[in-house]
Amino acid sequence: MQQQPVIKNGIFKPYLIFEAWFGSGVRLCGQTILLLFHTIRYILQGKIDWPEVFRQSNMIGVKSFAVVAITALFTGFAMSLQIARELVLFGADTAIGGVVSLALIREIGPITAGVMVAGRVGSAIAAELTTMMITEQIDALKVMRIDPAQYLVVPRYLAGVFMMPVLSIYAMFIGLFAGILIAQSAANLPMATFLDSVKQTILDRDFHVHFIKSFINATIIIMFSCAIGLSTRGGAEDVGIATTRAIVWTMTMIFVFNYIVTSLTYAPR
Amino acid sequence: MDSNQKRKNESSKKPKVQVEDLHKSFNGKQVLKGVSFEVYSGETLAIIGPSGCGKSTILKLLCGLLQPDKGKVEMATDNIGLVFQGSALLNSLTVRQNLSLALRGHKLKRNEETKKIEEKLNLVGLKEQIDSYPSQLSGGQQKRTSFARAIVYDPEIILYDEPTTGLDPVMSTIIEDYMIELESKLHAASIVVTHQLSTWTRTADRAVLLHDGKIVWQGVPQEAMNSSDPFIKQFAHASREGPMEIG
Ligand SMILES: Nc1ncnc2c1ncn2[C@@H]1O[C@H](COP(=O)(O)OP(=O)(O)OP(=O)(O)O)[C@@H](O)[C@H]1O
Ligand SMILES: [Mg+2]
Repeated sequence: MQQQPVIKNGIFKPYLIFEAWFGSGVRLCGQTILLLFHTIRYILQGKIDWPEVFRQSNMIGVKSFAVVAITALFTGFAMSLQIARELVLFGADTAIGGVVSLALIREIGPITAGVMVAGRVGSAIAAELTTMMITEQIDALKVMRIDPAQYLVVPRYLAGVFMMPVLSIYAMFIGLFAGILIAQSAANLPMATFLDSVKQTILDRDFHVHFIKSFINATIIIMFSCAIGLSTRGGAEDVGIATTRAIVWTMTMIFVFNYIVTSLTYAPR
Repeated sequence: MDSNQKRKNESSKKPKVQVEDLHKSFNGKQVLKGVSFEVYSGETLAIIGPSGCGKSTILKLLCGLLQPDKGKVEMATDNIGLVFQGSALLNSLTVRQNLSLALRGHKLKRNEETKKIEEKLNLVGLKEQIDSYPSQLSGGQQKRTSFARAIVYDPEIILYDEPTTGLDPVMSTIIEDYMIELESKLHAASIVVTHQLSTWTRTADRAVLLHDGKIVWQGVPQEAMNSSDPFIKQFAHASREGPMEIG
């Protein structure tokens, strides 16, 4: 990566940091959008290596189940405890299931799964592709007339798009399980009452938005980390820089887009 | 003159690789300052010169991995093979899969493909390692795999970046022999970048010496040792005294 021009003519220029930072951010967003277009074009043309998609689904999805379960479980515990405490004060303990499940399906499920996959998978993809870049493996692909977008990005993207909703729903169920445990132990609420309240509260629309959010999360994670990996040049130390950059960008974007989707679908009218 | 002969003569008149006034700089540092040469089919050109003078950069410009700042690159075909200086094998694939990937766009039948891959691996003595991953190979074995990968699809233009560096003398000779055979058999145009004297004197028809971003000598390899030109004299005799200041 190039040295950022912070000092010019021997004078420290703080705005140059901002300019360099802003410029590289804009460039990355452009690269990401372009890469997304290329990837979608290849998918529409049917140029898909299914065995590789399967392999990537295993790497991206199956191996994330454990970390997603642990985070969803403890987020579920903490959140349910807070909700149960407040609702019991109002004597509305039968509504605990509804409130917990709404929070899970609308916000906590997609966010938890998204953030964990961003940390586990986004960083791994950025590190892998950056390594391939600096060891000229990407150049070798180009000489063999193989587009890295088709060979590397398409299978990872499809795997991400297939596995992310599964992981989000899974995170939601783990969270619900935590909610049931807390409701039983802290508020003495039977499981049947809890689930009744869940059924009455959650609508089809919540599932639709849930899927939209996980689709967007998958797109953010795979596209940003691939674009970062494929645009990094230099030496071994740049692998670390690219990894950090991928995590920061994917997580930030997940939170931003999560809010955008929420505000478009749930804002009070 | 029969028509076959005639066609051959005509095609050999037009160069397969033509480079004119090539300029390239990295971060404001000029590496190439106007390099021109051409290579015809059935011919091998050696590019020699001190480390860091831009030899690999020229090869990357030729196969489109880099864009020149100024000047023209004309390749008669896009069926190009490149042996990378650093092997550049795909780490996640076995030797066989690496070669098979190179054949991907060439639409061969499965048994044809297998035959081709095994033939080339036999040639570089890696039949046993066909299902190994690059990380399980020695540096020289990786280099040979990279060589096999670059030639597996019978390219019309072959670019070799240090094809024999790091190989033992016998294997170097085998690779050099095969480069000579490829040149006549495929009628390929080849460019070889090398520091190894035997490689460029044995395989090349012509050589150019690159120094300070320009070609400072060109000629037939056999003349290099006895030439009175100060540049090639210094380089061929590995002498510290001379017009080239290196380092
Ligand atoms: N991508 C790049 N970014 C910045 N500088 C570069 C880049 N590629 C090459 N250079 C610089 O260009 C010069 C020429 O590099 P090149 O790899 O072509 O040398 P070379 O002649 O192949 O050397 P060697 O014989 O050691 O392989 C070097 O000074 C190198 O630092
Ligand atoms: Mg080089």
